[in-house]
Amino acid sequence: MRLTLHVNGAVHEIDVAPTLPLLAVLRDDLGLTGTRYGCGRGQCGACYVIADRRGVASCLLTVEQASRMEITTVEGLAKGDSLTPLQQAFVDLDAMQCGYCTSGMLISATVLLANEPVPDETAVRDALAGHLCRCGVYGRAIRAVLTAAEASR
Amino acid sequence: MSGWGEERPTDLAQRIRIDPDGTIEAFSGKIDFGQGIRTAFAQIVADELDVPIERVRVVLGDTARVPFDFGTFGSHSVAQETPHLRRAAAFARRQLLERASRKLGLPVERLDTREGSVVSDRSSIGYGELVNGSPLAGPIPDDIPLMPTERHRYSGRPMPRLEAREIVTGRATYVADVRLAGMARGAMVRPPARGAKLRSVDDSAARRMPGVIAIVRNGDVLGVVAERDEQARAAAAAVLADWHAVPVEGPSADVPMRRDAQTAARLAGAATRLERTFVLPSIANAPIGPSAAVADVRAEGATVYVGTHRPFGVRDQVAKAIGLAPERVRVIPMITSGTYGRNSQGDATIEAAILSKGAGRPVLLQWTREEEFAWSPSRPEAVLEVRAGLGADGRIVAWRYDEHTNVHTAAGLDPQVLGVTSGRNAIPPYAIGTAEVTLHIEPTRLRTANFRSLAAAENVFAIESFMDELAIAAKQDPLAFRLRHIDDQRFRRVVERVAERSALAAAPPARRGRGLACTIYHGTYVAQVAEVEVAASGAIRLLRFWCVVDPGQVLNPDGVRNQIEGGIQQSASWTLLEELRHREGRVVATGWDTYPIATFRDAPESIEVLVEGDEAAPPTGVGEPGAVPAAAAIANAVYAACGARIRELPITRERVRAALAPR
Ligand code: FES
Ligand code: FES
Repeated sequence: MRLTLHVNGAVHEIDVAPTLPLLAVLRDDLGLTGTRYGCGRGQCGACYVIADRRGVASCLLTVEQASRMEITTVEGLAKGDSLTPLQQAFVDLDAMQCGYCTSGMLISATVLLANEPVPDETAVRDALAGHLCRCGVYGRAIRAVLTAAEASR
Repeated sequence: MSGWGEERPTDLAQRIRIDPDGTIEAFSGKIDFGQGIRTAFAQIVADELDVPIERVRVVLGDTARVPFDFGTFGSHSVAQETPHLRRAAAFARRQLLERASRKLGLPVERLDTREGSVVSDRSSIGYGELVNGSPLAGPIPDDIPLMPTERHRYSGRPMPRLEAREIVTGRATYVADVRLAGMARGAMVRPPARGAKLRSVDDSAARRMPGVIAIVRNGDVLGVVAERDEQARAAAAAVLADWHAVPVEGPSADVPMRRDAQTAARLAGAATRLERTFVLPSIANAPIGPSAAVADVRAEGATVYVGTHRPFGVRDQVAKAIGLAPERVRVIPMITSGTYGRNSQGDATIEAAILSKGAGRPVLLQWTREEEFAWSPSRPEAVLEVRAGLGADGRIVAWRYDEHTNVHTAAGLDPQVLGVTSGRNAIPPYAIGTAEVTLHIEPTRLRTANFRSLAAAENVFAIESFMDELAIAAKQDPLAFRLRHIDDQRFRRVVERVAERSALAAAPPARRGRGLACTIYHGTYVAQVAEVEVAASGAIRLLRFWCVVDPGQVLNPDGVRNQIEGGIQQSASWTLLEELRHREGRVVATGWDTYPIATFRDAPESIEVLVEGDEAAPPTGVGEPGAVPAAAAIANAVYAACGARIRELPITRERVRAALAPR
């Protein structure tokens, strides 16, 4: 099926099965591999993207549903070479180890800060609760989000 | 083939290469799996060669380019690598100075280096120009003078890891992100149980499915290669395979680890005796990214892209699996999801290589979440029986310890390593009088293997819980009781410091408690205090953690903190939540719903890590020690909070309630 996708401000015409998860199309057809596969069932958060201003699991969204939305992936967060304050805070505080979970966390934290520019710690935990990290960087990630919020005040 | 005794590479050409454009390449067989060694190596090379760090490219583990290396086992072996690399870079700088001296007709003493050039008071020549056409080479002298510390611009300074920017922009190329021209996708057809033999295959329906390139069978390995991922998976599900299940069981053995005469008699004669059993279930490594590999196998040679900590070992395994000489296999390590010591990456790599060979195409294979739980090896179960006797003065006079577990590493029963793998940390770091310590390896159908700290996390849970119980039985304070049995000054210091930092002696509010645990892990001294709150329901909230660690000389304190914090967070998840259920060797868990791990909501309010390394001592590892005492610190805190002594993990609310129920 021919579909049009709007991803990171670009328009892509693709011809794929409409029931494919958006995750597969991002990674295998659009070359946007920053969105990661972790479980395929909406349980880990590694595959999150922004769809019409909300953070969603791209492994659960069909490409047909996605074709009616504005999609932003982790590759679309920075403007050119300049990192967002959130990305910069993750770098500065080394809020990652293997980094496999980082894309997803950045997506949900970006959505949080857009809706609630100065969240408290509980709000950060709630917003990121769907993102699992086996390396255990939760504490640093919380601090990074709070630091970014502080920086853009 | 190369082994432990391999000599370290001593020729400069194996270590440093300078391009005509002045780019420096530094080579090492070590692997960066998030501990920041790429950055540390770049800092060292940039300082010794006097170049901006942006011009240094560190090449790690690419078997076609780096000198042989046995593998990266903890930050310990990394620390040993740094002086070699430093000397190589210093030697390269000296050669550049000598070349410039000949070219300019000036003595070396009148020359210096600056920003990637050799300079005199009048002229300057870029490194690139000096190596043009004739690469640097020659045996690296052991006594090459190093750059004076005051001229270091990078080493020892905190600096974000070089990969951090790539990770936050999504540009980092993990194994599953590798894209090669003509690359196809693989999916495996799995047997009903591990070790099953393949009797026959009917692939007539699968062959006709869209996108299918090949159905590949090699012995009992069966898989599908197709143009797209979903096509490969659909076809794999349509393959009818007839399997013959053959139960496989791990080995068994009894290994005496310590045998002091008179132990039984002194136990029998002790003034106070205590006997306890501790139990840990098996748990999963559970990486967030499932195993993946890319293989491009051709008649003349193969290239594989993998996540591994021992690229040369993987090279040999792949070579054997596809019938090529090892020199014809190139392993290129990629950034990968953390795997905490598990070695199933090797499985996906061999499968991908078999598929690629069978299909004649480069193949990307990524396991599904279900496959990751079902087919990767797990941490074994452990039942730990401890008994000790105290003398009239309240000191331990005799100790008996029986560790019952399954084999912890792929090395199996190799007697050379059994005691330090499956029996790791079974001997306590205390003065315990006469002792008998025995490791009993019991068979299991579950596939078990390396996981962060091997058996140490299990043994230290038992020993450190038991030390608390002993102290309480002898009406002594758990801190003072431990200190009475510690001879080693570095050990004493971390224990005293953590007690101080956490105000261990102060009484916490109602329902809260603090627990202490400590150990020496592979030369790293670590002491921790956990603070928990236990609700009437038995539900436990982990509030805070303190840790003091002495890993000898420290290059990058924040890197140490990050690793230790992660170890504590992961271990807290094992301790409070995790149990991998299995039956007949088959894992029951299929996803994060059936194998929950700690989330952002479970993370403690703070994990304070004090890095107090003994600068006079050689550097030791920090990737594993953080995880080791955490379970006992939490269990001891639960006891302090509510009086429930939990001897079986995970510490669930049901277990706490049962322990508190009036008998
Ligand atoms: S891959 Fe989508 S939530 Fe795990
Ligand atoms: S940093 Fe490794 S899973 Fe989060």
